[in-house]
Amino acid sequence: MPSWLAGRSYLRLALGLFVVLLAVNIALNPVRFAPASLGVTIGLASGLILAAIASMPPILAGRGGIDISVGPLMGLVNVVVVRWLVEGLGIESPFLIVPLVLLLGLLSGALNGLLATVLRIQPIVATLGTSLFYAGITLTIVPSPAGTVPGWIKALAGPTSIVPLAAVALLWLLVKRLPFYEQLLCVGSDDRAAYTAGIPVTLVRFLAYVLAGLVAAVGGLCLTGLIGSADPNIAGTYTLLAISAVALGGVSLAGGRGGLVAAVLGAADIFLLQTALTFFNVSTFVLQIVYGTVLTVAVVLNADRLRQLLRRRRHA
Amino acid sequence: MTDGQAILTAHGVRLAPGAVPIDFAIGPGEIVGLAGLEGHGQEAFIQALCGLNRPEAGEIRLQGKDGRAVQVTEFAKAAAQGLAYLPRDRRTTGMLGGLSVFDNFAIAALPDHQRLGIVDRPRLREKLAHFTRELAMVYRSPHASIGTLSGGNQQKVLLARWLTREPRVMLMNDPTRGVDLGTRMKLYEVFRRLAADQGIPLVILSSEIEEILQLCHRVLVFREARLFAELDRETMTMDRVIAAMFGQEAA
Repeated sequence: MPSWLAGRSYLRLALGLFVVLLAVNIALNPVRFAPASLGVTIGLASGLILAAIASMPPILAGRGGIDISVGPLMGLVNVVVVRWLVEGLGIESPFLIVPLVLLLGLLSGALNGLLATVLRIQPIVATLGTSLFYAGITLTIVPSPAGTVPGWIKALAGPTSIVPLAAVALLWLLVKRLPFYEQLLCVGSDDRAAYTAGIPVTLVRFLAYVLAGLVAAVGGLCLTGLIGSADPNIAGTYTLLAISAVALGGVSLAGGRGGLVAAVLGAADIFLLQTALTFFNVSTFVLQIVYGTVLTVAVVLNADRLRQLLRRRRHA
Repeated sequence: MTDGQAILTAHGVRLAPGAVPIDFAIGPGEIVGLAGLEGHGQEAFIQALCGLNRPEAGEIRLQGKDGRAVQVTEFAKAAAQGLAYLPRDRRTTGMLGGLSVFDNFAIAALPDHQRLGIVDRPRLREKLAHFTRELAMVYRSPHASIGTLSGGNQQKVLLARWLTREPRVMLMNDPTRGVDLGTRMKLYEVFRRLAADQGIPLVILSSEIEEILQLCHRVLVFREARLFAELDRETMTMDRVIAAMFGQEAA
């Protein structure tokens, strides 16, 4: 384990924060973090965790890669599942709903990938466009919270909340063994050098967006389980929280550095911060101030520039 | 040389609008040098040969891995067909700075080293060990960052990156730039062996004429975006190459 961590020094901060926050949370609220209620607790966090994992691949791919449509896509998945699939078509079987949700994610990811990598529109603008588009469709389908969901989806926020996370973790473990993963890191660390090494840079970046869409769709399904209905207003906030989580986890927004553990730790930190502060009944405004402060401090502490300065100090 | 046995050919390649078209062919075991004053077209030519830059006109053909000729239009596709290119500026376009020796070595060979789509790391590690011996590379560990290596060893890692792919032709842009003398001699030996023993044709662009005289069977001298002179073993001397670089007909 130490050697594994040694190569990932960017994780230290998020890991340290995680340990401290977890201890604080367990001390404040032992019941919530008891083994019996772990399913529900993970269910509360899984939407954010999956949103953070989804945000990671385009960022890893570098050159300003980012997908800010993650949150709105989760919202779209939510209303499509509840209003169209469950209420409209009467589909309740996971064997139909899950593939359709994944398909929606793939299509959305492919659309973002097409815009951002093939047509080379600035990723932030391209995914801003798709996110506004999704948010609009979502509100058209369900203008205000409504509907109910089948039991198995609700269970995704309860007893079986670990299943979607485990599925995504398995997917990531598989991806890590494919040439694609190495190529993604290379493209993110230096796209010109990657190109002269014969890597199909555009294709690799495109696939990063597809992966993002796929994971965000799973996140949308988990969110649906958590809120138990169709709500067009909730998912939008996930985008910025997810990107904060990724940055907090030490993933370099310049690309080439990061991974699943970083995204999960970052998201878990934000979630634990949230639960600890809500325990004290802190207002949501204060919550935001704390998020902002923690994020800024964390990113500053993780900055390469700061490390360089400190190192120079030490040597001088 | 007839086109039949050539591995890489260029037909009517124009490096600038209105420039005289260039024809070129290189066959098994040949080492051809490219020379010229900075910015006179030799760099554009080598980049056109590997598909990194589209020339104004003309076409480049590579005898691909299955023996059929393919047109070189895009670098990644040409690379998959056995074309290798060692860029000039190691730092910005060659090595992946933050990554390890192993990653830098393995990155180009990934498509050829997988089992059912999974990267075959053990075999890649064996290959790295093989080339470490072959090229006398020195590094602390395969996991060390490539930035910690000397310039010569960095270049050897990049060379090994391409050699694992068993290239059909290698193009090198100033391959011994920033490399110490001992390593330079080692690289020359490797280049000669590649050409003589394995029959891999080498195109070497060099800013050092001495290097071209030592290594190459013939040299193309570029002047104002055209092929100004072609000198072979008999006619190739320091004076003549320099004269051609400055646009004077060989005396």
